[in-house]
Formats: sequence, C-alpha cells, structure tokens
Amino acid sequence: MRMIIIYFKNEINTILKMRSFLIAISFFTSLILSDCNEASDSSRTVIAGGSLTEITYFLEQENKLIAVDVTSNYPKKTRELDSIGYVRALSTEGLLSLSPTLILGEDDMGPPLVIDQLALTGVDIRIVPEEQTSEGILSKIRCLSSILGVSKSFQDQKISLLAKDVNKLKKTASKNSKNPKRVMLILNMQGTSPIVAGRNTSGDSFIKMTGAKNVVTSFEGWKPVNSEAIISYNPDYILITERGMGSFGDIESLSKEPSLKFTRAAKNKNILSEDGMAMLGFGVRTLGTALNFSRIFSEE
Amino acid sequence: METRSLIKDLLRFTNSNQVFLLSALLVTFLFTLLLSISLGSFNFSLLELFNSTRDSLHTTVLYEIRIPRVLLAAFVGASLGLSGASLQGLFRNPLADPGLIGVSAGAALGASIIIVLGSSLFPSFIFGAFILPIAAICGAALVISLLYVFTRGFGYQGITYMLLVGIAVNAFASVGIGILTYISTDSELRGLTFWTMGSFGGASWYLILPAIIVITLSMLWMIPSSRKLDLLQLGEPEAYRLGVDVKRLKYKVIISSAITVGVSVSLSGMIGFVGLVVPHLVRLLGGVNHSYLLPGSALLGAGLMMSADLISRTLIQPAELPVGLITSAIGAPFFLWLIFRIRKI
Repeated sequence: MRMIIIYFKNEINTILKMRSFLIAISFFTSLILSDCNEASDSSRTVIAGGSLTEITYFLEQENKLIAVDVTSNYPKKTRELDSIGYVRALSTEGLLSLSPTLILGEDDMGPPLVIDQLALTGVDIRIVPEEQTSEGILSKIRCLSSILGVSKSFQDQKISLLAKDVNKLKKTASKNSKNPKRVMLILNMQGTSPIVAGRNTSGDSFIKMTGAKNVVTSFEGWKPVNSEAIISYNPDYILITERGMGSFGDIESLSKEPSLKFTRAAKNKNILSEDGMAMLGFGVRTLGTALNFSRIFSEE
Repeated sequence: METRSLIKDLLRFTNSNQVFLLSALLVTFLFTLLLSISLGSFNFSLLELFNSTRDSLHTTVLYEIRIPRVLLAAFVGASLGLSGASLQGLFRNPLADPGLIGVSAGAALGASIIIVLGSSLFPSFIFGAFILPIAAICGAALVISLLYVFTRGFGYQGITYMLLVGIAVNAFASVGIGILTYISTDSELRGLTFWTMGSFGGASWYLILPAIIVITLSMLWMIPSSRKLDLLQLGEPEAYRLGVDVKRLKYKVIISSAITVGVSVSLSGMIGFVGLVVPHLVRLLGGVNHSYLLPGSALLGAGLMMSADLISRTLIQPAELPVGLITSAIGAPFFLWLIFRIRKI
C-alpha cells in the first residue's frame, strides 16, 4: 500500500491538494499569507526552499537569515547557518526554538499541520508563489525583495542584471521552438531504470523554458522509464542532474549504458549534466542554465 | 557423469506425479520466457526478426536490452524461490524467507550507501556501474559474517537463535537505510525509493553474466542436499542420528542462499514475497519432499518473476511499475489466504 502511494504520489497529491485547499480557505486564510507585502520584521528570517535562499543571497539580504532547510545548498555559505531539516518535514518546536520573525517557503513546505501550528503561534509565514517560467522567476525575485523590504532602486538594479539574460533566453527559446529539439531529463538512474521527468514536473517546465520539447508526454510526474521506451523516444539531447549521474562518474561512461547507448543523444555525445538545483530549483541560477542549454540546442 | 547421477538421485525420491508437475513447470517456464522475450514497449515481431536481419535497431533492442533483462528476472526469481524453499526447510518454519536472516537488508544497506553517499565518497569512480552491486554484495557478506560470529559458526543454540539474530540484524540495517533516507536529497530519495521497490531496469550483459554464473553454481551446489533437508524435517537431533551432518548442511544452505540473494538484491533491489510464497505454491501443487520442492520452486520463481517483470514493463508503458509492487500485490493476498487456511485447520 505504502509503495502504491509513493508511486502514484502525484495523482494522490493533486486530490489531497484540492482537499487541503478547501480546508485552508475555511480555517486559515487569515493566518497564512501568500502576498508579497513587506514583512513587519524580517530580522530573523527562516527559509524552507532552495530557490528562495538563492534569491535572498542574490539580493544580498543574507544578514537577515538565521536558518535554512536542507535543500538550500547554494551558495556554499548557507552551510554556516542553522538547518531546519527537510522542507516537507519541518518541526514546529525546532523552528520556534530559533525564535524566527518570518518564515518563507514555497507550496511544498510542510507538513500542513506544522505550518498551521506555526501560523497559530503568530509567526509571519509566507508562501511565495511560484510559476515555473523565466518571468515567474523574476516575479519570485520581486515578491521576495518586497517581503524582505529591499529598496525599489536596488531591486530594479538587481533585476536588470537578469533581464538581459531573460530576453536572450526568450529569443533563443522562440527560435528553438520553431524546430524543437526533443529532450529527455533524467533525475537519477542508479540501480533502477532512469527516473525521467513527465508532464507537470519542474523538469518539464525547464525543458519548455529552453524552447525544446520534452519527449515524455504520456505520464505525469517523475517515473522510471524502461530502456526500450527510451530507445523508441530517441531524444536528441539528454539532460541529467549531477547527483543523478552518481557513480557513473562521467558522460563518457554514462553514454555507454545500454539504456542510453542507442539514442541519438548518446551517439552524438549530446548528454548534458548540471547541478539539480541549478536546473530545477527555479531560482536565479535556473535562468543561466536554461540560457546556456537553449544556446546549445540552437546549434546545429 | 555428475549431472546424470544428480538427476538419478533426484528422481529416486520424486514420484511420477511430481515428475509430471516438474515438466509442466518447465514448459510453463519456457513459455513465459518466450512470451517475455517477444513482448515489450518496443514493438516488433520476433518471427520477423529471425527471418530477416534488416533492422539492426530491433536486434539491438532484443539482444542488448530485452534478453538480458528477462534472463536477470528469471535467475533472480529462481534464486529467490530456491533459497526460500531451502531456508524454510532448514528453519523448519513455513514463514522463513530470504529476507528473514537479514541478508537482503544487508545488501540493501550497502546499495543505499552508494545511492546516497556514492557521489561524495567516490568522486570519479572507476568501477562505474559495478560499484552498486559490489557494495550490495559487501553488505550481504557483512551480514553473513555477523550471523557467523553471533551463532559461533552457525552452530550455537540451534536454528531459532539464528532467526532471532537475523531479526536484530534486519532492524539494524533498516536503521541505516532510514538514516540514509533522511539525509538524502530529493533526487537520491527517489532513486532510493524506487530501488527498494525492485527493478530489472539496470540489466546489461556485463552486469548479469557474473550474476548468472554465481547463481547457477550455488543452485547446483544446493539442489543435491534436498534429501538431507527432508531428513532434517524430523528434527535436528534425529537428522543427526540418521547420518546428516547438520552443521555442514546449515553452512551450505545459509551460505548459498546468502550469496544468491545478495547477488539478486544487488542487481534488482528488494523484491518481496517471491521467496516466501513460491515454495508454498509448489508444495500445494505436489508435495513437500525437497527433491521436488527445490527445482520446482526455482522454476516457478523464475516464471513468476518474468511475468511480474513483463507486467512491470508493459502495463503503463513507457513508464514502468516497480516489479516489487507487482510481486507483493500478488503475494500479499495469497499470503493472507494461506494464514486463513492454516487457522481453519
């Protein structure tokens, strides 16, 4: 049963989300805010979500941070901060012991009960909305900077640094999308069949950002895909997270794996690997990675 | 000579009904093998393939991907079925299972360490795809050594004591896996979860050939002991007085099942219920003597595992269901029925 639940997590989550959404409106609307108004006190901020931490450092507001979760591993300096554990398994007492004035997270922050308990204690909790596009990343940055009370001029200055990249990305992406490359994104492939991004995943959104096309259209979520199907997909490019490569060590030995060997991507040495959060975190780095990859896709 | 005398020996203690059943199982096994090889998400007709050698991609899919995978499933199923049957015989306990003495858990711990810590432990490791199976075998070997030390050479205080040690070892390994689960990142967690549910997705010739050799050798080593396992059912002292070297038999069964299960788990993850349920099915079909039970369990285990893998790779293609999900989904209701039946008697 537990295994079935794990496997169909995405489908079940959708149902649960609708339910918890209804419960949320009826009880806690006044307690958990998802707006971007300036927090009354952001001097002791706790962040649960790697992309938010990345953006906070990008906005040079790290002096306000007291603790982050384990998905916040970029930049390296975050290791000096206290850790609040895993983003989906936070603990009420542990968090309160840090006496935070502001808790920031994305909609994967949980478990819901802990979030509700925290909200009841009167801590300012914000769920920063996320849209997995390049514009979405910019608006996430805008939202976070207004919550943290960053001055408008500094915010504009920082965003203009990225706006150039976003424009370039949009241009290459729209050029790519006329004759889109077929891309497959692998999260992990140790010991099992490769676990591949399906519809409605951060991986799918990332591929779309580059103007390429995800080869997987028939299932939702991250699922293991069997080798024969990978061969019939025959992707032009394969993207893989660095951790997911694991013991394969390098692209060379990875492309000799029988499940990938016979794809166009492996034959043409078109396997690209990048840090998982830099691709799928939808923080600042995702823009750079997407631009980089979309340029590679636009070469012939 | 060796094989002929082995077969003669086996036939001596097998009645004609059982010989018929064994041949039926063999036929089913071959049929499943053929079915598994001809079906898959990459669609082509097997007959067409043998008649012409035009399409090289189809041949590659067949020889490099599908056949190794089907063979791995068959050998893993056979080894789980066989070691389940012989462990149930050794412990004289119908609930014994290769997982019970802790070997699977040890192998799983070894593999989990590589999945979660691998990339930081060995930055650019030369073993590549071999490292995960090697770690799993090390984990299994560690558990066997622990069992050996705690039972003072498998002899101390009888078999129940070993079962209890196995339970403790299992608990200890689950703690290790739990800690690794806790510290893993999202992507590693997914890898770990899917791995513990079992998959034959990683099969390739250079990985499975050593496994096939090891599993075949230890099966050939184990099956001739079937008569001794029969005698052991009378009780340890009785078997000893009837001339069975009980200690040696214990070594043989424990070591060979540890090796085969270690190898199987290392290549396919944790696959539940086959080791437990298959021997019961075979017993229900035809009897309890080990000269029939051991080869029967191996054949049925292989057939069932190939069918489970076939379902796993074709049911929701292109994605695949973890194979452990299917074996447990079939095994759990059967197990319940078994318990219900025992209660009625």
